[in-house]
Amino acid sequence: MTMTMNKTLPILDVRNVSKSFTLHNIDGRTVTALEDASFVVHPGEHVSLAGSSGAGKSTLLRLIYRTYSITAGSVSFRLANDEWVDIAQLSDAEVIALRGREIGYVSQFLHAQPRRSVIDLVARAGVSRGMSTADAHEQAGHSLARLGISRTLWDVHTSVLSGGEKQRVNIAAGLISPPRLLLLDEPVSALDPENRERAIEVIADLSDQGVAVLAVFHDLDAISRLASRIILMSRGNVVIDGPVDQVLPQLTPGDVQP
Amino acid sequence: MSQTEEHMTSIHVPSPIIQVRNLGKYYGNFDPAMIERTGPEHGTARDHVTASIVAAWGVNFDVAAGEALGIVGESGSGKSTVLRCIAGDVAASTGDVRLAPFEDGNVNILDLDPSARRQLRINTLSVVYQDPAEGLALGVTAGGNIADPLTAAGWRNFGSIRDRARELLARTEVPLDRMDDIVRNFSGGMRQRVQIARALANKPPILLLDEPTTGLDASVASGVLDLIRQLLEELQVAAIVVSHDFGVIEMLTERCLVMQHGRVVEDALTDQLLEDPHHPYSQKLVAAART
Amino acid sequence: MTLDTAPHTSPTTIAQLVGHRTTETFALLDEESKREIRRALLHAVCIPGYQVPFGSREMPVARGWGSGGLQVTLACVGSDDAVKVIDQGDDEGVNAVNLRRLVTMSTGIDETTEVYEATLIQSRHRIPEDDMNENHILILQVPVPEPLRGIERDIRELARMHSEADYSRMWVSLYEDKVRNGVITQSTGYPCLVASRYIVATTPIPRWDIPRLHQSKFLTLFGAGREKRVYAIPPYTDVEPLTFEDVPFEVESADGATCRLCGSSESFLVEMPGKQESWSCSDTAWCRRQRNT
Repeated sequence: MTMTMNKTLPILDVRNVSKSFTLHNIDGRTVTALEDASFVVHPGEHVSLAGSSGAGKSTLLRLIYRTYSITAGSVSFRLANDEWVDIAQLSDAEVIALRGREIGYVSQFLHAQPRRSVIDLVARAGVSRGMSTADAHEQAGHSLARLGISRTLWDVHTSVLSGGEKQRVNIAAGLISPPRLLLLDEPVSALDPENRERAIEVIADLSDQGVAVLAVFHDLDAISRLASRIILMSRGNVVIDGPVDQVLPQLTPGDVQP
Repeated sequence: MSQTEEHMTSIHVPSPIIQVRNLGKYYGNFDPAMIERTGPEHGTARDHVTASIVAAWGVNFDVAAGEALGIVGESGSGKSTVLRCIAGDVAASTGDVRLAPFEDGNVNILDLDPSARRQLRINTLSVVYQDPAEGLALGVTAGGNIADPLTAAGWRNFGSIRDRARELLARTEVPLDRMDDIVRNFSGGMRQRVQIARALANKPPILLLDEPTTGLDASVASGVLDLIRQLLEELQVAAIVVSHDFGVIEMLTERCLVMQHGRVVEDALTDQLLEDPHHPYSQKLVAAART
Repeated sequence: MTLDTAPHTSPTTIAQLVGHRTTETFALLDEESKREIRRALLHAVCIPGYQVPFGSREMPVARGWGSGGLQVTLACVGSDDAVKVIDQGDDEGVNAVNLRRLVTMSTGIDETTEVYEATLIQSRHRIPEDDMNENHILILQVPVPEPLRGIERDIRELARMHSEADYSRMWVSLYEDKVRNGVITQSTGYPCLVASRYIVATTPIPRWDIPRLHQSKFLTLFGAGREKRVYAIPPYTDVEPLTFEDVPFEVESADGATCRLCGSSESFLVEMPGKQESWSCSDTAWCRRQRNT
């Protein structure tokens, strides 16, 4: 799929989004995880979500992906035909359709995975986003090589991999034939320095491909190298939202503590 | 067939293969007021006035090709009742169930007579039961159990029947040298694999699974679960998976219904149900599963 | 008012009882009984292979000795019929003789051992070697009319299987048989599909005779007295022994054996009693004719 949409128009428009949980089985209390968050993301931008633990970063990613349901506000997404849809109001079937092709999520964990070979897993992700089986297989090989997964591991089952290897496979699967919006939740946290480098390079390429990235890193260095914009959050609120050059100097180590 | 939820976007959503509207099953005498006297708010499916049981009521959902819908709940929730009403093992009391591969979805299969329902079970809809003995003839060989649906569909060539049986047993990882052993001599996990092989014999577009790994040892169950997951992806069937186990639901399904006392209390994306359940009962179930 | 007080002459011996009846009715049965059996037979002919229940009467032969076949014969017989009765191909077996006598004594019709002279042929276990045609009705004595009995006992389930033509369990049992034994081993009572619809038990006849039923010129009626069923294969009806496409239906054979009496290798042979490896024709009348010509 070619990126033909208008690059100056945002691809994601989050408006006044709030999320609260009602804990019926404790005492019915309400916990607010996110309050009145608003921001936009453009194609090709890499937006970093920074903030200490509990600030609401992962909550935001999950709301966009619809793993969480919204309490208030809207999460507008621009489709390839320039039509806007509010992800929060879509039917489950529509969300499943979007998740397949348009919006991707790479989490920290490789869980509930089938007994499938490494290359198969990555290739399948490509096929689900419209690649031919042959192309997907070839591209999967490239991605895995770039991420330092040696060819000898390509045919083994993912269950025998180390944590770091699994995470890199996860990244490869998330980024192959990338969707137009990619949500990354601490994708390099379990990687040793050398592999972290490889991963960062691969993620950096996404902007050139016009992919909009919204990412959580607990890593000032990664943020400085990847982000074009930073959104700092604290206790469920957006505190700062600005270009990386402006915001980065204002961040303290506490703001990126896992 | 219509969509469950109205959507006005241009996002392409595949049309449903299974469409269920207002499915209901009660046991005993019917009194319209008994519906309001039962359900989650009353904490029971049994009506204290008529002593009737509203095992399931008002169930609506769609399932698309390649999609697996989960139905989760504790025993007595009505989840198995829903599955059995669609399968035809139990006569529904009310409802409209349409299957796209059958008469283009223009016929309510609940109106069909038992012999027509049995025909559906040959080519269109297969069931995998919790107890393999329910889906297999224990005194018949593994190959013979697969020959059954094939011959029912009109297969008359012994060699072809054997070939297809071998293919299915290989795919479900049953050792081929046991093809001519009677199923009674198989372990629980192997029996379940044979049941799956048999269910797939005529390439049904619709598959119903009722607690497919309950009762199996954990290590055996995970192998069978993995097999089911692969098959669902490969075959692009429309599937309904009934389970009380969230691990199974998480592995196999993308959408899920939660049932309690015969009613659907929540209908959500599976990952959303596991991470952000809304209904108090859903929260309770998920919390219990996490411990 | 006066009562008729003339003494009755009630029968006091079995002979008197039988004699009493045979002087009053044609063919042992009263007209109502014959009518009921004929109605059942008409149903059977109209639905080839379908087992029609009928009110099986008490007969002078015990159940299991041909009472069903006898009732069918008695319902069909008319004063210009000629009857042949065989048991295992032999007209002179004790049972065949008794049955034949019952028919002829109660009707006064001719009896014969030659197929070409007969119109009704009642048989247990064989179809005569000679060709039969539209002038013949073959009546077979059936012990077990239900072909699915080996795989299902419940009569409601059996009724359902036949009514829905749901014979998959029969096919599974053939599959299992072939897997276990290398061949399909059923000998007598081989299941056949009649008119592409009902599966029937051909219990009385060996595999050898089954091809004779297919598109036959003659009508075949099956009577089961104890089980109270009749069924029919009308002339020019398809009768296919159940087997897989790639597993040919085989008939009995005894390598190179010939009849000790007439030398035939083309007829159905049976081992002579008490003499191993010594064969003779099962159809005695046919064998005798070979020797005389």
